[in-house]
Amino acid sequence: MSLVNIENIHKYYGDNHVLKGVDLTIAAGEVVSIIGRSGSGKSTLLRCINGLESYSEGNIILDQMEVSTDDFQVRKLSKSVGMVFQNFNLFPHLTVGQNIELAPKLVRKTSAQDAEATSKEVLEKVGLGDKYNSYPSELSGGQQQRVAIARSLAMKPKVLLCDEITSALDPELVGDVLKVLEQLASEGMTLVLVTHEMNFARDVGDRVVFMHQGKVWETGDAKEVFANPKTPELQSFINAVL
Amino acid sequence: MYQFTDWDILRNLLLAARWTVVLSLIAFVGGSIVGLILTFIQTSGNKVAQRLIRIYVELFQGTPLLMQLFLVFFGLSLFGFDVSEWTAASFALILFSSAFLFEIWRGCIESIPKGQWEASRCLGLSYYEIMRHIILPQALRVSIPPTVGFSVQIVKGTALASIIGFVELTKAGTMLNNATFEPFKVFGMVALIYFLLCYPLSVASRKLENKLNVAR
Repeated sequence: MSLVNIENIHKYYGDNHVLKGVDLTIAAGEVVSIIGRSGSGKSTLLRCINGLESYSEGNIILDQMEVSTDDFQVRKLSKSVGMVFQNFNLFPHLTVGQNIELAPKLVRKTSAQDAEATSKEVLEKVGLGDKYNSYPSELSGGQQQRVAIARSLAMKPKVLLCDEITSALDPELVGDVLKVLEQLASEGMTLVLVTHEMNFARDVGDRVVFMHQGKVWETGDAKEVFANPKTPELQSFINAVL
Repeated sequence: MYQFTDWDILRNLLLAARWTVVLSLIAFVGGSIVGLILTFIQTSGNKVAQRLIRIYVELFQGTPLLMQLFLVFFGLSLFGFDVSEWTAASFALILFSSAFLFEIWRGCIESIPKGQWEASRCLGLSYYEIMRHIILPQALRVSIPPTVGFSVQIVKGTALASIIGFVELTKAGTMLNNATFEPFKVFGMVALIYFLLCYPLSVASRKLENKLNVAR
């Protein structure tokens, strides 16, 4: 049984037809990289998977739950799917620890003690065990992004969606964040990444999905797709970015 | 004829200034309560309520405070309500300040980046939880300087209540002037007292702005 099942979804922004019938199945433990030019619909697709964006046709099933933008449904989904953003979106008025513990306490009704234990554990995992009491503004971009990952992990999701999470980082900080992702992948976490890090997509990813004009244009095994792109669009895209 | 000494003038003005302070406090506290209620209704997303609030706000922002005072004072008595100067002044000033405080606070809430909503939603927080734990604490921080700044406007706005016969600082000044024929001295003192009331608020507003601008 696949963890995420996307069937023929369509999405419009006004008259703009952004997703034109996307089908995609993601199995548990898979690392899927979504690549493509800007405007190809890859971020929109990702945001549809956890109910952040609505879609007008088709359907998405995640962990046997229907995905919709309904508040109740989004809250239910949040226990199965986490999301990390390009701009971190940490809560600036809360410490790192509070950032991580808020949702488990409110949504999962975890006790303060357990939440703190989990929070320290996930911080350790992203290599920031000593930042528990810091405020986000005291951290570098790379550290903030790792806290954002830790915050998602504390909800114990089955899938982690990453929306260009290294794009806002200074080049020398990208490595630390990718290392965390690589570790998660090796532990069997299901990852869906919209990314511009082609090397990462090729070396760590299991599968690559190339989006073009609102459709899944080409998809396949990561190494294979990069070595032998079939469509001219993917060929020219790979030539442009590599 | 009784001769007013400078001390007499000042003493009477200071006594009247009490009512300026009390009226300001009523306007500020009352306006805050009404403004808060409006803010909550606004953010709850009911379209009809939002439109009504917009009309309310435009009405009070688009007409002079003096007209609002007149309408409450004379208008309500037309309908058979006998309103005292106290009631009329308090009522008009509360409505007036609620409209402005609402605008300030709405702006503060909207100034919180959309990403904060999205991240909270992805973590499964409900609308109420997002407001309570994420948006309001941040909006509150942003809102303190402009709110304190607006309180200066309220203090000065109370001067208009003198026109409907409410004896506060300005009205007392007018009366003392009629008795002493020393407008420069009397109104100089009146202005000075207003300044002493407002200046600390302006300074506080600026200090808070500097302090709170440093994002944590």
